[in-house]
Amino acid sequence: MKNKLYLIPIFIFLIIIMINISAFAHKVNIFAYVEGGGIYTESYFSDGKKCIDSKIEVFDNQGNKLLEGLTDKEGMFSFKIPAENTISGGLKLVLTASMGHRAEYIIRADELISSTGLIEEKFAEPEESEEPISVVSPETPSINLKEIQSMIENTLDEKLKPIMREIKKSQEDKISPTEIIGGIGYIIGIFGIVAYFLSRKK
Amino acid sequence: MHISEGILSAPVLVTGVALTATAVGYSLKKMEHKEVPKVAILSSVFFVASLIHVPVGPSSVHLILNGIIGVLLGWSAFPAILVALALQGVLFQFGGITTLGVNTFNMALPAIICFYLLNRGIKGENNFIALTLAFICGFLAVLLSGVMVAAALIFTGEPFMQIAKLVLIAHLPIMIIEGILTAFCIGFLRKVRPEILNV
Repeated sequence: MKNKLYLIPIFIFLIIIMINISAFAHKVNIFAYVEGGGIYTESYFSDGKKCIDSKIEVFDNQGNKLLEGLTDKEGMFSFKIPAENTISGGLKLVLTASMGHRAEYIIRADELISSTGLIEEKFAEPEESEEPISVVSPETPSINLKEIQSMIENTLDEKLKPIMREIKKSQEDKISPTEIIGGIGYIIGIFGIVAYFLSRKK
Repeated sequence: MHISEGILSAPVLVTGVALTATAVGYSLKKMEHKEVPKVAILSSVFFVASLIHVPVGPSSVHLILNGIIGVLLGWSAFPAILVALALQGVLFQFGGITTLGVNTFNMALPAIICFYLLNRGIKGENNFIALTLAFICGFLAVLLSGVMVAAALIFTGEPFMQIAKLVLIAHLPIMIIEGILTAFCIGFLRKVRPEILNV
């Protein structure tokens, strides 16, 4: 076919470049992490725009809704970790943004339990019954295990923040040129098959 | 414009699949051999257009270009959009596989409506009228798609006013941009290859 059809996409792209709209995906993402006694979530469209006033619902593993809330101007929403008996199977966070966009994020139970203090108590009880006080140096008698643990947790939270941010970034699945070109290849292929069947019909 | 999985109720999804399957079947039967390359190219255009993003208000919208696809393809817009959406779903996680039927119908039906309403004028002699109609075509196709997305959400039980407002406000800029783009493309095609417009 001697055809100038290929000029259509080229032409469209020239215009797009002229009006300078950045090319990105269209999708919402939600990212959540546990810190201290709370769960922090961030929601954003995949071009990096924050989801404002979007609904976030929290479900347990049975599908019961535990709580819901709206994201703020930064796309953030945080809440206290719900009661222990509901989180044993992990939590599912569902983000519903405007116009039919939706994303899910699952927090596993072990992430939650380690920060709610279940482990803290497990450790604290046997240690105390064995009277380990004599081992602790006399200069720090007032610091008990719980305090130490909360200090460690706070420092860790601080230190892990940048790593969390990196993980969040890597979760934003960017669309690579390979996928785009591959997709166009698929389309040509599919219509090649269509053309084959149409030509057999005649 | 792509409705994600897990939002719509089952009856809406099933209706979408049934309507899309019928329309695709019909258009494949109607499609002529020599038309296929054109359908493939416009399908790729649609596939890539959704990656071009316009940030507006609380939501985020992208080009759809279903107006120009409708005018250039007529009924073949259905298979073109279906294939492109399926690949977007698989490769980019836009929309989803269960909502494929509804999404295809939401974007392809306005394309065909535009084709029937405006194709004759766009092919016509008068350049000014043709370009104006091309603008209307780009504008109207997005508007109708927005209305259909809203309808799908309302049937699933979202409050009407909230959705209606969002559809209009969020898509107004994209309607205008698509109108201008469509007018440019049609103007170009009328000069370079007017026979493309004969579907």
